[in-house]
Amino acid sequence: MKPILILATAAALSPLAYGADNSTSYFIRGATIHTMAGRDISNGSILIRDGKILGVGENLTAPADAQVIDAHGMQVYPGMIDSFTDTGLTEIEMVRETSDNSELGKFNPQLSAWMAVNPSSEHIPVTRANGITASVPVPNGSLIAGRASMIHLDGWTVDDMDLNPTVALHINMPVIRTRTFHFPEGATERPFEEVHKDYLKELQELNKFFDDAHRYEKAKAANEPGFETDLKFEAMIPVIDGKVPVMITAMREREIRDAIAFADKQKLRMILAGGAEAWKVAAELKARNIPVVLRPTLSLPEEEDDPYDKPFTTPGELYRAGVLFSFGSYDAQFSRNLPYQAAAAVPFGLPHDAAIAGVTINAAKIYGMDKKVGSIEEGKIADLMITDGDPLEEQTHVKQLFINGKQVDLNNRQLRLYEKYKSRP
Amino acid sequence: MLSTKLNLPLLAILCAARAAHAAPPDAYLLHNARVVCVSSPTLERGDVVIRKGMIEAVGVDLKAPADAWVIDATGLTVYPGFIDALSTWALPGAAPPGPTARGTSAAQPAPTAPANAPPPSKGPEDRPLSATFYRAADHISPTDPVIATMRDGGFTTAVVFPTNNIFAGQGAVIDLAGDRPGSMVVAAPAGQYLSMKTNGFSSFPGSLMGTIAYIRQLYLDADHYKLAQSIYASHPQGLQRPAYDENLEGLNASPRALLPAHRAVEIDRMLHLAEQLKLKAVLYGGEEAWRWTGPLKQSGVPVLVSLKWPERPKEADPALEDPLRILEYREKAPGTPAALAKAGVRFAFFSDGLAKPADIRKSLKRALDAGLSKDDAIRALTLSPAEIYGIADRTGSIEPGKIANLTVTSGDWFDDKTKVKFTFVDGQQYDPQPEDTKKPEDAVKTTEATN
Repeated sequence: MKPILILATAAALSPLAYGADNSTSYFIRGATIHTMAGRDISNGSILIRDGKILGVGENLTAPADAQVIDAHGMQVYPGMIDSFTDTGLTEIEMVRETSDNSELGKFNPQLSAWMAVNPSSEHIPVTRANGITASVPVPNGSLIAGRASMIHLDGWTVDDMDLNPTVALHINMPVIRTRTFHFPEGATERPFEEVHKDYLKELQELNKFFDDAHRYEKAKAANEPGFETDLKFEAMIPVIDGKVPVMITAMREREIRDAIAFADKQKLRMILAGGAEAWKVAAELKARNIPVVLRPTLSLPEEEDDPYDKPFTTPGELYRAGVLFSFGSYDAQFSRNLPYQAAAAVPFGLPHDAAIAGVTINAAKIYGMDKKVGSIEEGKIADLMITDGDPLEEQTHVKQLFINGKQVDLNNRQLRLYEKYKSRP
Repeated sequence: MLSTKLNLPLLAILCAARAAHAAPPDAYLLHNARVVCVSSPTLERGDVVIRKGMIEAVGVDLKAPADAWVIDATGLTVYPGFIDALSTWALPGAAPPGPTARGTSAAQPAPTAPANAPPPSKGPEDRPLSATFYRAADHISPTDPVIATMRDGGFTTAVVFPTNNIFAGQGAVIDLAGDRPGSMVVAAPAGQYLSMKTNGFSSFPGSLMGTIAYIRQLYLDADHYKLAQSIYASHPQGLQRPAYDENLEGLNASPRALLPAHRAVEIDRMLHLAEQLKLKAVLYGGEEAWRWTGPLKQSGVPVLVSLKWPERPKEADPALEDPLRILEYREKAPGTPAALAKAGVRFAFFSDGLAKPADIRKSLKRALDAGLSKDDAIRALTLSPAEIYGIADRTGSIEPGKIANLTVTSGDWFDDKTKVKFTFVDGQQYDPQPEDTKKPEDAVKTTEATN
């Protein structure tokens, strides 16, 4: 408990007096509460204690020991969750030493993103200043890239930040790409037949690895003397047992369909990541209850002749098809733009509520964390924000932020630079 | 039916004169053929007299010269020998030297070992990817099998260019028959072949704008070089001598510039470049020239239209749909010749790597399907390329005084059943090679069996 003691001293010195831990109770009153679990509550109150939401409603009274926050005219939303990020794994993409998001080798299920997160990343305070309280860092190597984790965007150590070290096993679906780019030769074109053969070979390898994992599990259960523990296959056991879903990154229709076929064959719970052409496969995704972690909406359409607004309309199309989806930044420094990715889909057919759900409760549902985070409900972890407006609007300010029931400092590098250069002569 | 009549006494005299050589006759009369003169109206029943490699007379009911070998060509059609306006025929494996091979024998292929790789060029002064001095005429291989193949397909002449560099070298007009390279050359140099290649990431020019800037620089340098040389030639005393530059020499020796221009944007770009540099330009490619006929007509710059119509690569990913832009490009390219003909832009066809005469005819027919008239098509294979290369006084049509290059067919060239009966190249008659009925695999098997 030593770190906490040091922290408490530091906090005492701080003029802002942010909580060093979540021992303080808070009573937020007078706010419009967007619970994301049923109807909105106007002039409502929230009681936060020991990191949890102890009560939400219209007729709560403040306990004597709770610090009262008057939030009249303010909005309260659940903290946002970035469903796919590099935050904490990559600081500066072009500086190799600060980039820790991928490993060599085709099969790395033993890797855990959570362990590699840098709690001191400058991107974390910047990101949470926009109302993002949790994110899912994802290892991004080849084929089986590693395990995605869900973390809180606050803490001195990865243990402080831990929400769930394994929310999914990330697989990069092999891709058929006839045109490739290499330095310094430039673009090269390969015949489809050749590329397709490589693709089938990789799929075969992937299937074999899963089959091997089943054999490993059986051998382990037999408990014969001389059994050797293998970390890679150990990590596969919860996946093949269906306790941990696979998150398969696939963009184009063919790769998405093949990913679904693979998950069917191996009887896996699947999450689709990326899903640029998920709109072409919406019916199948719905039929199999496969949720989608959408790539950034602020990107280009896949095909030259696709409508310019295809990435904007895709969330609305998935919504109407009944597919569960959430938004991901797929980035480190731009994780802060997550709400605007959801916002971009609203004028293009996605209901506003569904857009908010896509950055809160639906992200929690997809990763099986909806009992703990993603909405403002009694018993859940107190991750929430107080704002002066709609968080999907760029003009809105996050006034106060709570992570794990602790009031979090909203100061960050960008704010400091703003303050510094504001007074430049 | 074709029948030949031998003038025995005259042949005997010729044979005696030529001593040991059993020389073929050098005078012919093609009798009673449909003669497509191109430069003048077609004769439905015409005669052509050939002597010593030249066309001596064209007309109706000509009296057979006493010494002429008379060929009854009743029912046959005589065209001027077809000209491929741009190809690499008869230049097999002649890898024109890049900057790597400067100073070495140009006939040798450029060294490929990385150890011999040139240092990256830093600017125009290093003359990157330039071999203006490379002369196709010096690298003709009379034994290249493509010569006979294409001659059997009706081509008697080709304009051949090296194509490997930004400044690839000087082309040559060659006739597609002969034992010696020297006797095959009709005109050289025919021009300088340019491409818009770049030199990779670490060597100048690494971008299209760098390449264009380099081209402009080299032409400006060549003008200055010419001036400096002439001043020095008249006053060598007291003047510092200008440095010799093989690339500027080569550029000044080239009477015209062949510029790549496929899309409309490239055509426009090359027209501007040609105008700025006051180049005598010829564009090659022309797939989207139908879109740019106005500026082409205004500029007077002719176009060599590729007969390899753009199409979806056979090895493409079947799941990838081509964008509308690409589909339109492919769909409309065969309409280019008709559009150019209608607009009055001079154009000629080039084979662009098509290896079979049958494929070339198939391509031509697509141009006809897209609205090109047969007369215009034949002109673009004969007189137009001759005009573009400034050799219309020698070849490209059937008229007295021109080289006796003739393609004699069983009928209309655009009829699938039509076959080339024989050709005349430089006044010599060539029959088509016997057709190989065996499949190549069978041939291999037989060889193995005998071994």
